[in-house]
Amino acid sequence: MKYMILLFGSQRDYDAMAGRPGAEPAWTGEDVAKLAEFMESWWAEVVESGEAVDAQGLTAPVHARRVQLVDGAPVVTDGPYAETQEVLAGYNIVDCDSFDRAVEIAARLAGTPHPAGALPDRGWYVDVRPVASGAEDSLA
Amino acid sequence: MLPAEIEDLLRREAPRVLGALVRRYGHFDLAEDAVQEALLAAATRWPAEGVPERPRGWLLTVASRRLTDLLRAESARRRREDTIARRVLPDERLAPAADRAPADTDDTLVLLFLCCHPALTPAGQIALTLRAVGGLSTAEIARAFLVPEATMTRRISRAKQRIAASGIPFAPPDRTEYAGRLGAVLRVLYLIFNEGYASTAGPRLARTELTGEAIRLTRLVHRLLPADGEVAGLLALMLLTDARRPARTGPAGELVPMAEQDRSRWDAEAIAEGIALVTAALPRGPTGPYQLQAAIAAVHDEAGCAADTDWPQILALYEVLLRVDGSPVVRLNHAVAVAMVRGPRAGLDALDALDAQVRLGDHRPDAVRGHLLELAGELPAARERYLAAAARATSLPHQRYLHARARRLPGPDEPGTQA
Repeated sequence: MKYMILLFGSQRDYDAMAGRPGAEPAWTGEDVAKLAEFMESWWAEVVESGEAVDAQGLTAPVHARRVQLVDGAPVVTDGPYAETQEVLAGYNIVDCDSFDRAVEIAARLAGTPHPAGALPDRGWYVDVRPVASGAEDSLA
Repeated sequence: MLPAEIEDLLRREAPRVLGALVRRYGHFDLAEDAVQEALLAAATRWPAEGVPERPRGWLLTVASRRLTDLLRAESARRRREDTIARRVLPDERLAPAADRAPADTDDTLVLLFLCCHPALTPAGQIALTLRAVGGLSTAEIARAFLVPEATMTRRISRAKQRIAASGIPFAPPDRTEYAGRLGAVLRVLYLIFNEGYASTAGPRLARTELTGEAIRLTRLVHRLLPADGEVAGLLALMLLTDARRPARTGPAGELVPMAEQDRSRWDAEAIAEGIALVTAALPRGPTGPYQLQAAIAAVHDEAGCAADTDWPQILALYEVLLRVDGSPVVRLNHAVAVAMVRGPRAGLDALDALDAQVRLGDHRPDAVRGHLLELAGELPAARERYLAAAARATSLPHQRYLHARARRLPGPDEPGTQA
């Protein structure tokens, strides 16, 4: 069964990581390198165990475009999110024997290194959701 | 022979054996499976039993036998399925062309022409080249491009199917299309190098396995076509660019611009080889874009420090390059050279002219504009451009570099001195 681990972040989080002047907390180069190393070795373990399916990171919400219907016509809006709004920042799809195993993999992310004060007020979380693999599953 | 030497030998022979097999029997897809099995047999047996006297002959015999088995199974299956549409082998349909290469031509080159055939998509060309000519496993290629193995498997089999379906012959291109086909091969090699060097994905700036493989394959083509100036030019360009890699990132993986790089960390051996290659190729003419870019890279690499860079010569080379390649990236670099020779104002004017005609759609024009405004002393404006460039950049190292440049400059409300 496939499970998607969803990671979230706001424009403010992205700005802090990208070292934007005035963004808090200021991530140093070492902070960024530590995070990249952590994520790489976390995923490498999943690849090694043969449970990795796909992993993608998304660019900052400011690069997003929303297409919505306005008066029956599609209208495009650039970067429609508020600074602090949490949006999907990336995902990892794993193929595991059980939901518990997928959750176990996701829980290791709780040790993600970050500079002090980088965690937003809402605390830290990721979501794990089973992937609907076929028509039967999605209609069940 | 050590296992590593055997592996080198196998990787060198793999494209030759595959090429010879496809030339004799057609069936690229099955031939590739047969060669993979022959390589596997060699990899398991040679370390223990010793390398045979004629390794290529051994591989060819084993692979031919395996291919015969596969073809037999295939034709039995086809009969069972009562397939009416029987495929005619290209060799049977066409008489050999008059200028067909003699049999002793290295089949590696013909294999490269096949893998980089214009009928394939660029992604397919790249994947097939790395697999069939480079001898990398599908898993290795998938890892290098940061895509799941299943995706890469599909990409490779789609490319193979397209070759089978379109009946592209396994033969060197004729004289009329030779230059274009070689151009496609060089473009694929350049894309592989660039994917490794400029790394469009992931937090890391360079993926050395791809640059290394691109250089190895280009070296191979250069050995096969030593008189071709553009092949030599591309190899020189790769060597001269890759030579700076050790100095291109700081301790935490941050981007270090060329002007601030510690040049003692550049690879002197690669620079010497690249300069020798381009120096030998240039007078032979005609001068193509790869030679010109290599010549520009050579001028940069020859300077002992950034201030010693011979910018007038670089500008002259860009003027020539513009005549054969007027792409936005070349024009952007030309504008930088103009600024370094005639001052930042002249460079900014060149940028204005560029902006009016083309849009690159990425962070580079803003980054260059920021740099030139900084040189011109317009610090708040420069800061604004750096921030705009950072907002457009999608890679974290680029964003962090541009933000760091902006942070050193005063904002619009604080027209003080430079920090």
